[in-house]
Amino acid sequence: MSFLHNYIYYIGAFGLVFIGLFIMAVKRNYIKIIIGLSILEAGVNLFLISVGYIANGTAPIFSRTVLNAENMVDPVPQALVLTAIVIGLAVMGLALSLAIGLYRHFGTLNLREIKEQRW
Amino acid sequence: MGETTNLNPVLLIAVPLGLAFLIPLLGLISKKIAKWFPVIGFLFNFILTLLILPHSLKQPIIVKIAGFAPPFGINLVAGPVGMLMAILIALTGLLVAIYALKYISEGAQQKYHILFLLLLTGATGVVLTGDIFNLFVFFEILCISSYALVAYLGNRAGLESAVKYLIQGSIGSSLLLIGIGLLYGQFGTLNMADLAKQIIDYTEPSVFVPMVLMITGLGIEAAIFPLNAWLPDAHSSAPSSVSAVLSGIAIEVGLYAVVRVLFTICHVSNFLMFFLFLGVLTLLVGEMSAFKQTNIKRMLAYSSIGQIGLIVFAFSISTQFGLAGGFFQMISHTLGKALLFLSAGFMIYRTGSMEISSFGGIGKKMPLTALLFTIGALSIIGLPPFVGFSSKFLIIKAALTEGKLLYTILIGIVLLGTVIEGIYFLRVIQTIYYKEENIAIAKKESPVFGLIPMFIFAMLIIVIGVYPNFITKVLNPAASELLNSIEYIRSVLG
Repeated sequence: MSFLHNYIYYIGAFGLVFIGLFIMAVKRNYIKIIIGLSILEAGVNLFLISVGYIANGTAPIFSRTVLNAENMVDPVPQALVLTAIVIGLAVMGLALSLAIGLYRHFGTLNLREIKEQRW
Repeated sequence: MGETTNLNPVLLIAVPLGLAFLIPLLGLISKKIAKWFPVIGFLFNFILTLLILPHSLKQPIIVKIAGFAPPFGINLVAGPVGMLMAILIALTGLLVAIYALKYISEGAQQKYHILFLLLLTGATGVVLTGDIFNLFVFFEILCISSYALVAYLGNRAGLESAVKYLIQGSIGSSLLLIGIGLLYGQFGTLNMADLAKQIIDYTEPSVFVPMVLMITGLGIEAAIFPLNAWLPDAHSSAPSSVSAVLSGIAIEVGLYAVVRVLFTICHVSNFLMFFLFLGVLTLLVGEMSAFKQTNIKRMLAYSSIGQIGLIVFAFSISTQFGLAGGFFQMISHTLGKALLFLSAGFMIYRTGSMEISSFGGIGKKMPLTALLFTIGALSIIGLPPFVGFSSKFLIIKAALTEGKLLYTILIGIVLLGTVIEGIYFLRVIQTIYYKEENIAIAKKESPVFGLIPMFIFAMLIIVIGVYPNFITKVLNPAASELLNSIEYIRSVLG
């Protein structure tokens, strides 16, 4: 029980990662695969944030009343996650525009049927 | 400490990036001006890298971005390895940009040139950075630009290939990010030199999981054997100038990142046996798959997989000769494969088909292009006096000086792969010169702007093949930088 209490964020993050990977590997519809990618990236970002979490810490912002850094969580992973979210946004935009082009050319989004390139 | 010079390696990344963002603005004035920007950008990069190179061989140049000292700030490390790769990237970018002046003539041309600049900016950033999250960011710039460039033509093949490439590539990037997060959580730092310093003293084996995740993530871009399913489709469906850059630069930069993680950060020496076998397996799979192809670009793409396997094999012989051989093979693969894709590009454009059988008799119709294709093919096979011979010779020498039976057997398998390479490339050359033509095309050579970069590649292949000495002056410091990570740590952290 204490294990669950201490590591709940990591368990959740890796759970999301595995769900995302499962969706991307199993599903046939391209939009579902994109949703799986989004879940995967959410899991990775959650994992990064929880690396920086310190118990009972506050937001790492210096203000006039809060001036000691000992009670703050680690700000570096938050910067990493901001960057990663923006990168994920770019990939998502590109993936969706490819979905539009894919439907226009092939008439279907079922990736098992779009197999013109073979050995 | 870093040497203070006026030549700042930051400009190598900043100038192409700035030009990429300037293209839409200046494109409002004139539509035709966009295609000159990559040429200007990479000409500047090429000259700057040649000027920085002598300084970086003496002492790696450490650039502290925004003045924050490592390990707290992001820094660039322009050492021998970084500058060698940066010269290669700038040279290939310049020549392919000149080629694209004439080759890219339809479609959304402005966007092509923006993406092209961004792809090579990302590549230059990956090779020059000294911070692992910065590596991830530039790696993403490289990957996303290449997903978009593969889909550039907007046809069925391009879209299908880009979708598959995107799915696999983004899984790889997420794995890389998880690995970086695990390393940060364990060691509290993102700086490569600081991580290396802490990992040397670290006794527990928990660096294994992050290392495997990062190598898998980077290996998808580097096209190592089980992870390379995207490559044949992507490189054959992209426009030929993009294929040249993807095969010549993008996968090699991915492999550089794998090697940087393995040697500098994680200090492995026993995991390399696995890579030895993986390299040979990649080589065999690539060459044997290329053997049965009838589509020329697909054949060249599988040949790229084979060459990457050879480079991985060379890097796994972690001696001075092995690493120098690996870097030399990277150079010869870039020059040869770029030349092959560029010349195949115009041959495909003229005959209208990518099948090898339609290239019959093209040696008489486009003599110069066919000759340049032949030079590229013979270099990749590894015949003297071309650079492919010198690089493969160095790898074989590296393996045989080890003296172990295992290396001798593996070199035998590598040479078998070379024989298969010889068969399928010579088959194409035979079709070009000796078969009679299937499709009637006029006797007209490729445009001048297309021939100039191909000539320069061919000249470099021949010159470096005959006089490899001025390249080995750079290869040896590069190899020792990777082997000797304590020197790396000392030069960054002081």
